[in-house]
Amino acid sequence: MKFDLDAVFVERGERDSALVRRVVAALPGSVPVEYVADGREAARASIGADPFAAGKRRMVLMRRRAPFLMSCPAGSARFACCGYLVMVLASNCPMDCSYCFLQEFVADNPGFQVYSNYAESFEEIERMIHSAPGRHFRIGTGELADSLAFDTVTGLTRDLVGFFAARETLTLELKTKTDEIENLLALDPRGRVLVSWTLSPDQVWRTSEHRTASPAARIAAARRVLDAGYRIAFHFDPMIAYDGAERGYSELVDNVLDAIPAAQIGFFSIGGLRMTPALRGAARRRWPHDPMLLGEDVLASDGRLRAFTALRLKLYRVLAERFARAGAKVPGYLCMESASVHERVFGVAPDNPATISERLALGQDSR
Amino acid sequence: MRRESASTTDYGIRALAAARRLPEPHLARWLAMDAPSRAGFLEIAQALRLRTGQLVVALDLLGEIAVREGKAGAEILARPELARIAARAGSTPERARAFIDAIRAIRFPRLTETAARLNSAIGELRLPRGISIVLPAELGSDVLTIKLEVSREGDLDRAIGILARHRAAIARILATLGGSDEV
Repeated sequence: MKFDLDAVFVERGERDSALVRRVVAALPGSVPVEYVADGREAARASIGADPFAAGKRRMVLMRRRAPFLMSCPAGSARFACCGYLVMVLASNCPMDCSYCFLQEFVADNPGFQVYSNYAESFEEIERMIHSAPGRHFRIGTGELADSLAFDTVTGLTRDLVGFFAARETLTLELKTKTDEIENLLALDPRGRVLVSWTLSPDQVWRTSEHRTASPAARIAAARRVLDAGYRIAFHFDPMIAYDGAERGYSELVDNVLDAIPAAQIGFFSIGGLRMTPALRGAARRRWPHDPMLLGEDVLASDGRLRAFTALRLKLYRVLAERFARAGAKVPGYLCMESASVHERVFGVAPDNPATISERLALGQDSR
Repeated sequence: MRRESASTTDYGIRALAAARRLPEPHLARWLAMDAPSRAGFLEIAQALRLRTGQLVVALDLLGEIAVREGKAGAEILARPELARIAARAGSTPERARAFIDAIRAIRFPRLTETAARLNSAIGELRLPRGISIVLPAELGSDVLTIKLEVSREGDLDRAIGILARHRAAIARILATLGGSDEV
């Protein structure tokens, strides 16, 4: 176990589930386990001066009452969207990035929930693929939680990889900032599982990505899962326009390309740091000395604070051009940006979300 | 001696905050600065007779610059572009406005520089009355607004002709707005 827990809460009705058995067996004896009637109450508990941070150290194993599949919450008609489908198997994350949107998104519900009835998500996916025969779907678990953090304890990826590897119209995306890949290395993904790393330059990692693996460790982990038969991808999101960012991101891409040939990178995504004023307020209260939260941000038309457009787009272009010179075409897309921004960065208008999603699932160029 | 001086400064800060009805969190932030920064800001606030809104904005910006640059408030306030404003001639309200503009420029250096460059490029077009090019607020989008005010067909033809003549220059402004120029 690479992260610390203060306690684990188990919903009584789930105590015999496979997930609970695995987790309880893997926990160090120093972590108390408490059985509760309703996990939602434990997840909502507001502890101490920083309930969000406390929630990260309180794992709650419980049933999920809502559907597991949802459209990515970042999607919107105003943006050129990648059509990502989210499979919600957990909520919150043991790492603590100062800019993380979960500080606002799960503020009232901060416990680190892992859903014991996750196998029901497979039934939802089966229904979806039967309703759209022949279509390819890219489904990820890394939106409301990190896909691999605690995987050595939960063992979720063993079931996930097994399920997706057996279905040719599905691609599973496991998105992470960890190097917790031990379980993956023992499995055969049959080309249907993509592991993606969110990457930032060292300067951002040191100031803002607390308890995450270093960028170098993430790249090394990517190399290892690639060698084990997985597809890989990288998310440069959020890109932060700090002083020296152009050099920082260029060097980061160089480090990626030194370790991994461009032709073997499934895709890269780009997105600028964007924060609602409420998120920025919450983040600044928790991390008052983090300079990365104080970029040259202005209020954009979607109500989010972003680096002013010229600065942000210049940074995007530096990264996209670096990949364009990489020797092989690496598909790329933008997250939460307009079609006109997409065109300015990649030189072409974006396709519709369903088409982009399908191309990314199939490993084709999404531009 | 030093304790006396700090206490005099804090008395001055509290008195000014009370007179201006400065919100409590901002007063707390001011009092939490190191002694030279507290005193330096008080000196400027008194000299420029900063109003409540200006105090709030200046304290916010000063605090953010301190985090961005890892410097104390006193160091920032001692910069020539700020010190000059406090010392120069002119009306107090005008100097107070200039101080806020200057501290904002330190907080948003590239935004200030890019906006100035774009405004200069628009000015160089010397567009006649009735044609205006408006940058997006705070350069927060890549959309340039071109406004024509015409009442006769002839005015419309003339305005479109002028825009057509300036097409290349306007395209350069658009490109800069989209980050393709040096920012």
